[in-house]
Amino acid sequence: MFFRFNAKDQAREVDQAGWGRTIWAAIISLIYFFPVLFIVITAFKEHTDALAVPVKLFPEFMAFMVPEDLTFKPTFHNFVDVFSRSFSAGAAVQDTGFDRFFFNSVYIAGFSVLLALLIGTLAAFGFSRYPLKGNDTYLFVILTTRMLPAIVVIIPVMLMFRVTGLSGTYTGIILLYTAFNLPFTIWMMKSFFDELSPDVEDAARIDGSSERRVFFKICLPQVLAGLAATAVFGLILTWNEFLFALLLTGVETRTVPVAMSQTIGGDIGVRWGLLAAIETLFLIPVILVTFFLQNQLLRGVTFGTVKR
Amino acid sequence: MKLITRSLVTTALAGCIGMSFTIPSWSEDITLNMAVPDWPPTRIMKRLFDEKYKAPSGNNVTLEVDFIPWPDYYTRLNASLTSGEQKYNMAVSDSQWLGAFIEGGYYRKLNDLIDADPELKATLDDMHPAPLQAYATYPYKSDNIYGFPQMPDILITYARSDVLCHPDEQAGFQEKFGEKLPCTPEELDGMDWDMFEKIGQFFQRKKGDMLMGEPAEDDFYGISYQAGKGYDFSSMQINGFLWQGGGSIWDETKIPDGQAEGVVNSDASVKAFEHYLRLLKYMPPVVKTGSMDIFKTDELFREGKTALNVQWIGFAESVINPDTSKVAGDVVFAAMPGTKQADGTINRTSNIGGQPFVIMTWTEDDKIKEAVDFVKWWLSPEIQHEFAAAGGQSAIKSVYNDPKYVTYRPWNRTWAPGLEWQQDVWHVPQFFELLVQQQEQYDLAITGKQDAKTTLDAIAKFQQQLLEDADLIQ
Amino acid sequence: MASIVGIVAVAISAFVLPVIATLWLTAAACALVAVTAVVNAWGRYTGGLLVAPAIAVLVVMNIFPLLWSLGLSFYNYRADRQTLSFVGLRNYERLITDPVVWDRLTTTALLVVLTVTVQMVVGFLLALLFSKQFPLRRYLLILVLTPMMLSYVAVGAFFRYYYDPTFGLVSQFANLFTDEPYVLISSTAGAVAAIVIADAWMWAPFVMLLVLAGLVSVPKYLYEAASVDRVPAWRRFQSITFPYVKGLLLLALLFRTIEAFKLFDVVFILTDGGQSTETIALYVYRQAIQFNKTSYSASLSYVLLFTVIVLTNLYLYLANRRAKEG
Repeated sequence: MFFRFNAKDQAREVDQAGWGRTIWAAIISLIYFFPVLFIVITAFKEHTDALAVPVKLFPEFMAFMVPEDLTFKPTFHNFVDVFSRSFSAGAAVQDTGFDRFFFNSVYIAGFSVLLALLIGTLAAFGFSRYPLKGNDTYLFVILTTRMLPAIVVIIPVMLMFRVTGLSGTYTGIILLYTAFNLPFTIWMMKSFFDELSPDVEDAARIDGSSERRVFFKICLPQVLAGLAATAVFGLILTWNEFLFALLLTGVETRTVPVAMSQTIGGDIGVRWGLLAAIETLFLIPVILVTFFLQNQLLRGVTFGTVKR
Repeated sequence: MKLITRSLVTTALAGCIGMSFTIPSWSEDITLNMAVPDWPPTRIMKRLFDEKYKAPSGNNVTLEVDFIPWPDYYTRLNASLTSGEQKYNMAVSDSQWLGAFIEGGYYRKLNDLIDADPELKATLDDMHPAPLQAYATYPYKSDNIYGFPQMPDILITYARSDVLCHPDEQAGFQEKFGEKLPCTPEELDGMDWDMFEKIGQFFQRKKGDMLMGEPAEDDFYGISYQAGKGYDFSSMQINGFLWQGGGSIWDETKIPDGQAEGVVNSDASVKAFEHYLRLLKYMPPVVKTGSMDIFKTDELFREGKTALNVQWIGFAESVINPDTSKVAGDVVFAAMPGTKQADGTINRTSNIGGQPFVIMTWTEDDKIKEAVDFVKWWLSPEIQHEFAAAGGQSAIKSVYNDPKYVTYRPWNRTWAPGLEWQQDVWHVPQFFELLVQQQEQYDLAITGKQDAKTTLDAIAKFQQQLLEDADLIQ
Repeated sequence: MASIVGIVAVAISAFVLPVIATLWLTAAACALVAVTAVVNAWGRYTGGLLVAPAIAVLVVMNIFPLLWSLGLSFYNYRADRQTLSFVGLRNYERLITDPVVWDRLTTTALLVVLTVTVQMVVGFLLALLFSKQFPLRRYLLILVLTPMMLSYVAVGAFFRYYYDPTFGLVSQFANLFTDEPYVLISSTAGAVAAIVIADAWMWAPFVMLLVLAGLVSVPKYLYEAASVDRVPAWRRFQSITFPYVKGLLLLALLFRTIEAFKLFDVVFILTDGGQSTETIALYVYRQAIQFNKTSYSASLSYVLLFTVIVLTNLYLYLANRRAKEG
C-alpha cells in the first residue's frame, strides 16, 4: 500500500555554485519575500502612512536615494502598542495582555511539538521495526485524522473538554495540538527509521544489546537530523493554528493568532501598524528556530529517497 | 414566666449566633464572567466598572471580562454556549442572535427581575422603544425582555466639510445641478438619496482632475456605503432602502401570516433595491469586488478618498482622531440620507445597529442579583453620561435629552432624531441562514452578475421555503 | 480485527442511544480498542508498547471525536437544541441531492487542483534554485521559507490590501501603465486567481523544503557519469533526479492536497465566498457554526473525508505501481 523509503548512504556532497547563483537566488528570494517584507515595513509606520498612495516603502533615512514621497518616518510605537495602549480616546494606557499571549504561544506550541516528537518517535520506531498486524491500516487511519476540517470535531471536542474540565487549560490545548502533530511526526519519523541500515542494529542485538540500547545508542543518533526537521514542520503547523485556539483557550491561555484578529475589526478598519507589529514579533521565534535547525533540516530530510 | 424568659434568651442567643454567621457573608466574593467583543465600548465599560463600581449589596464583586476579537466573536460565543460549558454569566450579543440563543435556552428571560424591581422598571420605561425592542424583545416587539443596551448604534452620514464647503466645488455644483451643495451639518441633515446621488455624480475625480482648486493627488469619489459580502455588510444598508421605498423584508412581527414571497420581492422592494444598486456606480472601485464592507468604507473615508460615507457611529471616534485619520479636522456628522416622500418629508427608516447584553440561564441566584445591580448601575444616568462622554451612546431618554449630551461628541446631534427612525432585522433563530443566503444573492447583484428582480425573487423563494419548513409562515 | 469490531460497535451504539450515553460508551469502546491493541501487540511484539502512547492520544483527542461526529451524522442533532432524533441516512441523502453542495465541491476541486499544481511547480523550481551550495544560501533560504510561518489573519488582511483597487500594491503597479484602477477580484476568475496566489505563495515553500531534501541527496557521481555520457538535460532529470525526489514529492503532494481540501481562512478573509469562491470547508463552517446544523455538517464532512481518502489512495496506488514498474 505504501511506497517505501530506502537508505542511501552515499556521500551526499552538494554541488557548488558561485556568486552568480547567489545573485539569481537573491533576486528571486527577495521577490518572494516581498509580501513579508512589506508587513515588516508596515510595522514601523504610523497609522496614517500605512495606506498611503503612492505606497511609502522606504524609511526616511533612505531619502537620499529614493523619491521623497515614497518615504515615511519610522516609528516604534506600534511595538509598544502591542503590549500596552489606550483603548479609547483619552483613556489611560492599559496592558493588552500580549506578553501573556506570546508566552502562551511559545509554551503551548513548544510543549506540544516536543510531546508529539517524543511519543511520535517512539511510535514511528515501533511501526518501523515491529510492524503490527495491519500496520499500513494503522498508519493510514492516523493520516486520516488530518483530513477532516477541524470544524467537524470541534463540537465533540468541546463537549469532551467540558466534561473533563480541560477547557481553557494548558493541558487540554497541548494534548490536542499533540494529537494534531502526531500524524505528520509519525509519518516523517517512520520514513527516517525505515531508511536506517538494519545491519548495525542486528549486529548490536547479536552482541546482546537490549532494545532500549539499540534505540537510544544506535537508531536515535542517526535520526537526530530528522527530529530537527520534523520539529520545524510541527512548529510551523502548530504556531499559527487558529480555530482550536479560539474555541478551547480561555483568557489566561489565549494564543497570539487569536488575539491578533482584534486588529482587523471593531471601531476602525484594520490597524495596519499594530497587526504588522504583532506579526513581525510573532515571526521571530519560528524564524530563529528554523534558522538554527536549518542544516539539520536539509541534511535530515536527505534520507527521504525513494527506492527504485 | 420562666418559660418565656428562657425562650427569649434562646431567641436572643440564636439571633446572636445567626448574626455572627451572617456578618462575614455580607461581603462575599462574587465574580461575574462576561464575554464581550474587544472594542472601545466594552473596554470603557470595564474601565468604569473597575474605577467606580461599588456593589450595593456590600459584596465584593469583580467583573471578569473575556475580550474576544470582533471578527471571531460570534464563533466563540456560539461554541461556548452550545457546547454547554456554561462559562459566562453574561455576554454582549448582537440583537439578531437573540432568537437562536433564546430558543436554545441560553439567554435568561428577565421580566420577573424587572417586575420585582421598580427602579429597573423605571429605567426601562425611560428608554427609547426602538433600541429596547431591538435589543431586548423576543419575539420582536413583544413584552418579553431578554437584554439591556450595552452600546446602541445607528447609521449616520460622515461628511468632509473641507471638500463640500470649498467655494470652487460649491460653484461647480450650483452650475451643474442648479442647487446648493449641502455643506454644513444642518444642510446635510436635509439630504435625501437623490442629493446623495448627485454628490456621487459630481465628485468622480480622476487623479489630476481639479479638486478643491488643486489637481487631485489620487482618484476621488463622492459617496460610499457598505456593500460587502461578509456578515451583514450590505443587508444593513439595503434594509433601510427597502423600508424607505415602501418595500419590506420578511416581517417577523406578523408570524404566522406574514409572507416572504410577494413581500420581499414586491415591486416597491425591487425598485428600492434598484435604487441602492444604482448609487454603487459612483463609489470607489473596490465595490466591484463585493468586499466594500464597513471597514473598507471607513478606511476610504479616513484616507480622504471619499466625501460622504454612511457609517455606524461606532467608527466615528477613529475618524476624528488625528493619529488614525487624515481628515480628522474636516469631518462633520449628519443624519443618514432618506427617501423623499410625496408630501416632501424625508423617510429615514434605517436598520439599527449596536448590541445589548444578556444574562445566561445557568447563572446562580446570588450572581443574578449582582448582575441586576450591575445593570442598574450601568444604566444609571451618571454612568451613562460618563460612557457617552468617553465616546459611547445611551438609549435612555433623560440622558440623551440632557443638553450636555450633544456637547460630548460632534455626532451626538444626530442621535436623538436618528433613534426615531430605527427598526431591526429578524430575530428568529433562522437568522443566520436567512442572512447568509441573502448576502450571497445581494453580492451577485452588487458585483453586477444579476439584476435586482432576479435577486429578490431568489431571496423570497428561499425565505418562503425555509420559513414554511420552520412553521413561521403558514 | 479488534479495532474493526470496536468501530462497528461504536457506530451501532451511536445509532440507538441518547447522546450522553453514546459519549461514555464510545469512550469506553475506544479505550477498550486501544487497550486490546496494546495488549495484543505487547504479547506479540515489544513494539506494541511503543505505539501505544501515540495511539492513545490520537484515539482520545482525534479518533473518538471523529467517531462521535460520524454517529451524529445519522441524527438530526443541532448544537443549539437539546432534541435528538435518529434519521438514518437522511442527511446523506439530502446532501447528495443538494445542488449547492455540488457547487461547493466543484469550486473546491478547482481551487485544490490549481493551488496544489502551482505550489508543486513553484516549490520545485525554488528547490532547483537552492539545490546547489552557494554563498549566503542559508540566509536566502530563510527568506523563502518565511511565508508559511505567517498567520492567516495577517496573510488574509495584507493580501486583501495588496489586491485593493484604491490602495493596493497590485493596482499601484498597474497604474504605472494605465489610468484605470486595477480591480482583480471583480470576476470569478480574478477571485480564484487571488486566492490561489495567496495560498500557493504561502505553501510552496513547504513543497520546496521537501523537494530540496530529495535533490541534495542525489549522489554526485550519477550526474558526473551522465555528463560524461552526454545525456540530454531532460533525460538526466528524468532518469537521475526524479527518482530521488519522487518519494518526497509524493509526500508533499499528499499533505498539500489534504490541506488544500480544508482551504478556509484565506477564502474567508479575501472573499467570504463571494464571486462563487465558497469552498466546501467554508460551507461546512456555515452549517456547523453559523447555522448550528451539527449533524448535517458532520455528514458533509464525512463525504469530504471519503473523497480525500479515495484521492490519497489513488495517489499511493499510482505511486506504488510506478515504483514497481520502475
